[in-house]
Amino acid sequence: MAVVKLDKIVKRYGGGGPVVVEDVDLTIDDGEFMVLLGPSGCGKSTTLRMIAGLESISGGTLSIDGRVVNDVPAKDRDIAMVFQSYALYPHMSVADNLAFGLRRRSIPGGEIERRVKEVAAILGLAPLLARKPSALSGGQRQRVALGRAMVREPQVFLFDEPLSNLDAALRVNTRSEIIKQHHRLGSTMIYVTHDQVEAMTMGTRICVMNAGKVAQIGAPLDVYWQPANTFVARFLGSPPMNLMDATLTAATRRASSPALDAPLARWSDGVLQARDGRKVTLGVRAEDMAIDPAALDGAPGGRVTGRTIAVEPLGAETLLLLELPGGGEITARLPRHVTAAPDQEVELFFRADAAYLFDVETGDAIAPLETGAAAVRAAVQRRTH
Amino acid sequence: MPDAISLRTTAKSGEAKASSRATLADPRRATRLVLAIFLGPALLVYCGLTAYPAFRTIYDSFFTIEGMDATFVGLANYRDLMGDETFWVAVRNTFIWSFVAPVIDVATGLLLALALYAGVPFARFLRVAWFTPVLLSYVVVAILWMWIYNYDWGVLNVMLRAVGLGDLASSWLGDPNLALAAVIVTHAWKWAGFNMVVCLAAIHSLPKEVLEASDLDNCGWGAKLRYIIVPMLRPTLLSLYILSFIGKMKVFDLVWIMTQGGPLWATETVSTYVYKRAFNWNTFDLGYPSAIATVWFLVVCAAVIILNRVLGSRERLEY
Amino acid sequence: MAAFLAAASGRAPLPRLFSRGILALVLGVYTIYQLGPFLWLATMSVRTTAEISADPYAWPSPMHLDQFRTAWVDSDFATYFWNSTMVVVGAVAVLTFIGAAAAHALARYRFRGNRLIYGILFSSIIFPPQITLISLYQILVDYNLYNSLFGLALVYISLQLPLTVYLLEGFFARIPQDLFDAAKMDGYGDLEIFWRIVLPVGMPAIATTLILNFIQLWNEFLFAVVLITDPDKRTLPIGIRAFMGDHFQDIGMIATGVMISVIPVIVVYVFFSEKLIRGMTAGAIK
Repeated sequence: MAVVKLDKIVKRYGGGGPVVVEDVDLTIDDGEFMVLLGPSGCGKSTTLRMIAGLESISGGTLSIDGRVVNDVPAKDRDIAMVFQSYALYPHMSVADNLAFGLRRRSIPGGEIERRVKEVAAILGLAPLLARKPSALSGGQRQRVALGRAMVREPQVFLFDEPLSNLDAALRVNTRSEIIKQHHRLGSTMIYVTHDQVEAMTMGTRICVMNAGKVAQIGAPLDVYWQPANTFVARFLGSPPMNLMDATLTAATRRASSPALDAPLARWSDGVLQARDGRKVTLGVRAEDMAIDPAALDGAPGGRVTGRTIAVEPLGAETLLLLELPGGGEITARLPRHVTAAPDQEVELFFRADAAYLFDVETGDAIAPLETGAAAVRAAVQRRTH
Repeated sequence: MPDAISLRTTAKSGEAKASSRATLADPRRATRLVLAIFLGPALLVYCGLTAYPAFRTIYDSFFTIEGMDATFVGLANYRDLMGDETFWVAVRNTFIWSFVAPVIDVATGLLLALALYAGVPFARFLRVAWFTPVLLSYVVVAILWMWIYNYDWGVLNVMLRAVGLGDLASSWLGDPNLALAAVIVTHAWKWAGFNMVVCLAAIHSLPKEVLEASDLDNCGWGAKLRYIIVPMLRPTLLSLYILSFIGKMKVFDLVWIMTQGGPLWATETVSTYVYKRAFNWNTFDLGYPSAIATVWFLVVCAAVIILNRVLGSRERLEY
Repeated sequence: MAAFLAAASGRAPLPRLFSRGILALVLGVYTIYQLGPFLWLATMSVRTTAEISADPYAWPSPMHLDQFRTAWVDSDFATYFWNSTMVVVGAVAVLTFIGAAAAHALARYRFRGNRLIYGILFSSIIFPPQITLISLYQILVDYNLYNSLFGLALVYISLQLPLTVYLLEGFFARIPQDLFDAAKMDGYGDLEIFWRIVLPVGMPAIATTLILNFIQLWNEFLFAVVLITDPDKRTLPIGIRAFMGDHFQDIGMIATGVMISVIPVIVVYVFFSEKLIRGMTAGAIK
């Protein structure tokens, strides 16, 4: 049982220094695999280090299982961490590296040996126990680092970009190894990465961070399909979601610009009415763009027109980059047979339910149905009509 | 006195921390106690045996100190110093040595390094062999070279006589016109290997592509040296020059054993003169040599700062 | 060597061959210039003064190895040798510890005054020795440490401390912080981390400074000659110099004494030449 709860956690360097983590609220349930995802410098590693006890907490409360641990030293938090650089002790053998953390904790020698053997067997490290880290490959070092955390049998595992020093093939292997160990141990794990593929494949939930704040928390596919703002919309997905300027017309339920015309089927009248005639940002994912109107199945859909900048045939698919007349670029992910000449006018289509709306100023997603006060007002309005 | 020192030490290391909470969490912070344990002994040694003596020397320079009696004399020592001809001879000798010899040092070092870099056989052996004199103590070097310079059977005169240049054979250390040069050569002999190794390491760390590019540009060895290697090694050569300069400003052992500053003050350096006035002459006054040491301390610091400014002012090369 | 070169570049054009030959000749002569004096010293150390007077450049035959016994026993070089050993080994041992501890604190911890302390320690590397010499003499007299090997060792510690801290700080700062974070999470305190992580991981650098300090203090002359007058407490450099003052004509015995002082250095050099060269030059290259 280990619930890690961050309540308005703040990290500020120095007295009046810059705030690198601001009011982070996050509850990680027991046995959950939580991924902290974001670009470098977004505060995800600092957040992890605060949970680990390697960084002081400037404000808010951090609790593990209801116990406030703000002032508890790292060693007493019952947490283990796997570092990006593995941080193996270079002068010790693999066996000593695994045992080093246990020796400090008044665990009997026999028990230490048993645990080291067990973990070594699980991770396939048994033949390497006598070696020094310098005699190991990158993947082996990574497993030792993982093993060093596992022998501790901690309540919570922390991972700080543990795969970023591995080559692509090893990364996939190790990813599944970590998932396997998570299923086996059922412990709470918190995993920091900037790699959206890792986040999508590993996390039970993702916490996307931007500029020291939480941008969105949710299950991977929920975050992917219902991004809370333009940052999340663009950060998840490759190529990132296309964002286009448009003006909203409530009467016709359309968002349009000279290059663009999209029906807004998902949004309630109240929501559209509130923004009638205003600028909005329309988002469509690259894979929802089609060059063939047949893809719409005869349903009313959106259209966007632009000039070709580049065609990138990737083999399995082709990326088409267009420049819009009003400025801005969009990318479409199209079937592999599609070709286009440079600087040619191209029209693309997308289904009405593939469109997202975002507020121009805040970048927040405009929910299809009203929420909060706006929803009440809209409901009252509907009843009176 | 020891009490005062330890108080100062704890005060210094105690500035260390922000709050106990920060100390607790951040592995880059430590409690006052931990810092005191790590830094305390070193600071104690530094304060007691370097900083305190240095300040005491400066303080003493305003006194005449004979045995236990110290008499305040104000700036009298410094006034005397201005009129002390021997001091000025020592300054002149030391300056000649300090500015000229480093050029020889760095140039030989660079040439030797280039020779090894050019790919001579046994380069590893030569590197180790040439470095050997660096490890010998000045006492050993001085004795060796006193024999080499010996008038009757020293290597130098024996060789001159053997090739029929017997007229040139001289008493190298006994002739006031030759003694300084003779000692400078000895010093250069000892340190050539050091400069060579540093230059060699610097050449090896030059990016290969640049040298290869210069080959494609049809640069000969001379042009390559003049336009590529020396400009790119500039930072290393300059720091070697400054290092060598500092060494010369301090030089004592070699001169003291070979000539004791003689003949006729021809090889007197500031260091040997301080030593003579403090411990060798029966003047029994430690105040006057303290004044010399103070002046020289300031001169060395100023010279190093100025050299750093003048030589290091141009931007370092990016590559 | 010239022959070797010629053989190696057998088909090279003549001017090239010629320039290679010149280069080989110059390097050969230079090597003799650098090594010759030392080898000459080595031959003289196993010859008697009478033999040397007859011909200073003859090959030693027979080898008078008993010269070493005479120097060791009758000429007090054993005393000098053991004095040197005690002072230098003691000073280097203490120096390595307190220097490493200070270097670790300066390299690892953030605290106000960190760079100030580092700057003060570092800048004293350029101090001319006279600025402390006269006062150290007075201080040691005041504390009854004048003419004592212990006092000399203390002074030696202070002489080499700045360089030691400087070299080790540079190395320790390159140990990744993750290692310390990991140890901290494993439950180790600051002192244990120093003992169990910094010292073992930093061993190569520590060994380098250790050897460097050994050589430099073994050769130290100025402070020894000022702070030691008692003949029984002389270290090798001042012992040799004193012997030379008394027996100026006894070339053979002086050479033997000099060899006794050089042999430990050469032995260290033979085993650790790369480490030593790296250590000696570490300060110059950044």
